[in-house]
Amino acid sequence: MIFWSAAPLLVLAGAVAVLLAAIAIRRSFFWSSAIAGAGLLGALAVIPSALQARGAAGLFVFDAASLGFAGLILAASLVILVIAYPYWRGCTKVPREEFPLLLLLATLGACALAGANNFITLFLGLETMTLAMIGMIAYPRYRGQAEEAGLKYLILSGMSSGFVLFGIGLIELGCGSLDFGRALAGGAGTPMMVAGLAMLGVGAGFKLSVVPFHFWVPDVYAGAPAPGGAYVAVVAKIAVLAVLLRVMALPGAGFSAGAVHAATAVAILSMLIGNLLALMQDNLKRVLGYSSIAHLGYLLVAILAEGAIAHVAVLFYLVTYAITMAGAFGVVAVLSDADAPRDMDRIADLRGMFWTRPGLAAVMTLMLLSLAGIPPAIGFIAKMYIMAAGIHTDLWVLIGTMVASSVIGLFYYLNIIIVMSLKPEAAGVVAGLSLPGRVTMAAVGFAVVGFGVAPQPLIALLRSVFG
Amino acid sequence: MSLVWLLVIPLLGGALAWPLGRAYPLLARIVCLAALGLDLGICLPLLHGTLAAPGNWLAGFNAPWIPAFGMSFRLKMDGMSWLLTVLTLILGMFSIVVSWKEIEDGVGFFHANLMWSLAGTIGVFIALDMFLFFYFWELMLVPMYFVIAIWGHENRRRAAIKFFLFTQGSGLLILISILALAFFHQRQTGVLSFDYFALLQTPPPGAFGFLVMLGLFIAFVVKLAGFPVHIWLPETHTEAPTAGSVILASILLKTGAYGLLRFVVPLAPQAAHGIAPVALWLGVASIFYGAVLAYGQSDFKKLIAYTSISHMGFILIGVFVFNTLAWQGVVFLLIAHGVSTGALFIIVGSVQHRLHTRDLDRMGGMWTDLPKLSSFGTFFILAAMGLPGLGNFVGEFLILRGTYAVAPVVAVAAAVGLIPAALYSLIAIQRAFHGPADAARAQPDFGARENAMMLLLAAAIIWLGVYPQPILDVTAPALQNLAAVPVTAMLR
Repeated sequence: MIFWSAAPLLVLAGAVAVLLAAIAIRRSFFWSSAIAGAGLLGALAVIPSALQARGAAGLFVFDAASLGFAGLILAASLVILVIAYPYWRGCTKVPREEFPLLLLLATLGACALAGANNFITLFLGLETMTLAMIGMIAYPRYRGQAEEAGLKYLILSGMSSGFVLFGIGLIELGCGSLDFGRALAGGAGTPMMVAGLAMLGVGAGFKLSVVPFHFWVPDVYAGAPAPGGAYVAVVAKIAVLAVLLRVMALPGAGFSAGAVHAATAVAILSMLIGNLLALMQDNLKRVLGYSSIAHLGYLLVAILAEGAIAHVAVLFYLVTYAITMAGAFGVVAVLSDADAPRDMDRIADLRGMFWTRPGLAAVMTLMLLSLAGIPPAIGFIAKMYIMAAGIHTDLWVLIGTMVASSVIGLFYYLNIIIVMSLKPEAAGVVAGLSLPGRVTMAAVGFAVVGFGVAPQPLIALLRSVFG
Repeated sequence: MSLVWLLVIPLLGGALAWPLGRAYPLLARIVCLAALGLDLGICLPLLHGTLAAPGNWLAGFNAPWIPAFGMSFRLKMDGMSWLLTVLTLILGMFSIVVSWKEIEDGVGFFHANLMWSLAGTIGVFIALDMFLFFYFWELMLVPMYFVIAIWGHENRRRAAIKFFLFTQGSGLLILISILALAFFHQRQTGVLSFDYFALLQTPPPGAFGFLVMLGLFIAFVVKLAGFPVHIWLPETHTEAPTAGSVILASILLKTGAYGLLRFVVPLAPQAAHGIAPVALWLGVASIFYGAVLAYGQSDFKKLIAYTSISHMGFILIGVFVFNTLAWQGVVFLLIAHGVSTGALFIIVGSVQHRLHTRDLDRMGGMWTDLPKLSSFGTFFILAAMGLPGLGNFVGEFLILRGTYAVAPVVAVAAAVGLIPAALYSLIAIQRAFHGPADAARAQPDFGARENAMMLLLAAAIIWLGVYPQPILDVTAPALQNLAAVPVTAMLR
C-alpha cells in the first residue's frame, strides 16, 4: 500500500533514469521532451490511485494534502514543459536535451518536498529542486544575464539553505528528533526550538521571496530564460508553500503571537513594496517578479486568516497564481527565441500586439486582469476569496493594505495593456506561432476565464482533495 | 430565462463582431445593431410580466452559481430596472450608429468592447445577488477602459487610467461592504448568502452598519461623479470617442444612482438616514460646482461633462430625501438626462468630426454653415438646462418638490443652482452657434443618418416633457419595492 501511495515519486524517479539513458543513447530534443512529458503525465495519472492508498512511511507522508500539492506541481510543470518546447526547439547554441531533464529533476525534488515528513527529506527535496533550477536559470550560458542570474541564485539559495540547515540542527538539538510531528510536539516553546524555527522561516522567506528576502527576484526572473523563470516563479513556490502549510496544520504548530506580528509585517511590506517597485520597471519579467512578491503577500493574508474559508482561499489563490504566472511567462516564451541575445521581455516589445497578434494579446490581457484581480478572470474570484477570509476573521489592517496595494498594482498592469493596444511602430512581418504554443496559450486563457466565470468546480475539487 | 438572454445576446454579439470586424467591418456593425435590437425585442414585452408577491417584480431568474459561498445567479427586474435597461439598449444602438463613420480602425474589437460593456451594465441593473451585481459592476469597466484607451482623443491614456483607477478602487470598497454584509448575515442567521432579499432581513446596526453603508456610498457617488469624487469624469468624458462618451454619460453614470437607490437605501436604512444631511449638501455642492466649472470651459465636450456633474447633484439630493415623489423624479431625470446628454455628446462628436476641434473659441457662427446641427444643438442644450416642456424639467421639478417637503433649505439652494445652469447653457449656445465664424467652413450639415438619430432623441425628450405619466406609472410600483423604509422627519 505504501508503495502505491508513493507511486508519483517513483514514476518521476523512473522517468529521470529513462531520460538520462535516452540522452546517452541518442540526442533528440523531441524525444527528450516527450519522455519528460510522459513522466509528468504518468505521475499525474497515478495520483488518484495514490490517493486511494495513502500512507506515511516515516520520511514521507502521502496524504490528501501532499498528494494534492504534488498534483498541482506536476500540472504546472507540464504546462511549463509545453511552453519550453517551442522556446528551445530552434536553439542551436547549446545542446537542448538537458533542459527537460533538469525540469523533471526539479519536479522530483518539488514533489519530494511536498511530501516530506522529516527534516532530512525536506532538505533533500529542497536541494534537488534548487540545484536543478540553477541549471534551468543559467541554461542559455551565451547570455551574460542568464549566467549572472544563475550565479546570483546559486549564492543566495546556498545561503538560505545554510539557514535551513542551521535551523534543522538547532531543532534536532532541542528535541532530539528530525520527524516533523515529534519535533513540534516535543520542543514547543524552548529557545532552541524558537531559534530553529526562526532560521527555517528565514529560509522559507528566501524561497518564497517575500520582503525583506526579495532582492534576488527581479534579477533572477529577468535573467532566466522565460520557461526557467516561469519554473522558479511557479513550481518552486508551490513546493515550499506545500510543506509550510502541511507543517502548520500539525498539532503543536501554528503561529505564536510574535510570529503572527512578524508574518503580518512581512505580508504588509510584501504587498506594498512589491507593487510599488513594479511601477518603475520597463521589463516584463521584472514586473512579474515584483508582482509575484505582492501576490505572496496576499497569500500570507489568507494564511494568517485561519478557518475553513481561509484554508480553501490559500489553495484557490495558489492555483490561480500558478495558472496566471505560467500564462504570463508563457506569452514571453512563445514570443521569444532562445538563440536571441535576450528574450522579448521589454514592455516596449509588446507594443502593438493587439493589432499584430490579437489572440496572444487577448491571452496576455486576461493574465494581467487575473493578476490585477478583475473579472472575468479567475484572479478576481481568488482575490474575493482572500478578502472574504480576511474579513471573516477581522484582519482589517491587512485587508486595507490589500485594497491599497491592489489599486497601485492596477497602474502597471494597465500600462502593459495600453502598450499592447498602441499602434505598432513598424509594419514588420509577424512570424507565426508554433502549434503547441498556440494550444497551450489558448488552454491557459480558457482556464483563466472558465474558472473565473464558474469557479465552483475548482472549489469543489480543492475541497474534495484537500478535505 | 428571458433575463439571461438579455445578457447573453450582447455578449455573443460582441464575441461574433470581433472576428467579423477584420474582413467585414460593416457586417460587424450590423450584427451588433441586430443583437441590441433583438435584446430590445425581448426586453420590451417584459413590462407586462408579473412575478408572484412579495414586491412588484416583472421577471426573475435564479440558478446556483458558487454554492460554496451561497452566491447565486439571481436576476430580477422591476420597473426601474426595466426603464434603465431599455435606456441602455436604445442608447447602445445610438452609440453603434454614431460610430458608423467615426471608428475606422479595429472595428471588430471596438464593437466587441462596446457590446460587452453594455452587457455588464444590463447585468448591473438586473442582478439581485450582491456578488453577481459586483461581478457585473467590474465587468462593465474593462471594455469601457479599452474603448477610451484605444479609440479616444489626445490624452486618452491618462484619461483611461484615471477612469479605471477611480472606479476600480472604489469598487473594492463595494466588495468589502458586500462581504461584511454577508458575514454579518451569517452570524445572525447561520446561513452564508449574498442574496439581496436575504440581506434585507438583517440590516447592520450602529457603527458597523455605518461603515458598510459608507463603503457602498463612496463607491456609488464616485460612479455618479458627485463632488468631490468627480475628478475622473471631465477628463474621461472628454477624451473618450463619441460612442464612449454617450455610454459613459448616459448609462454608466446611472449605475451609481441605481446603486444608491437599490442598495444603499434599503440595505442599511439607518446609516443611510444618518449620512443623508451630508449627501444632500454634497448634492448642492455638485450642482454649483458643476455649473460654475461648466461656465468656465472653452472645450465644448468638457463643458457638457461638467453639466453632468451638476445634474447628478440633483440625483444625489433626490435619493436622500427618502420620499417616493423625489425618487420618481430621480428615475425620471436619469432617463431624461440619458437622452439629452447622449444627444449632446453626439452633436459635439459631429462638430469635432467636421471642424477637428472642440474649442468653443474656434467655433462661432456655426448656425450659418450648419443650420441643422446648430438647431438641434440649441434644442438639446435647452433641454439639459431644464426648459419646461422638455424631459429634464419634469425630473428636476419632481426632485425639488419632493425635497421641499422634508428639507426646504436644500430645495431652495438646489433651485438657485438653476440660475448658473441657465448661464452656462446660454453662453454655450452663444459661443458655439452664433456670432462671427472663426474661419470659412465648407462642411456638410447633418445627413440623413444624423438627422434621424436627432429627431428620434428630440421626440423622446419632448414626449418625456409633455406626457411623463407613462414613465411615472412604471416607476411607481417599482419604487414601492424600496419603500419598506419609512419616511422619517429627521431631516427637517
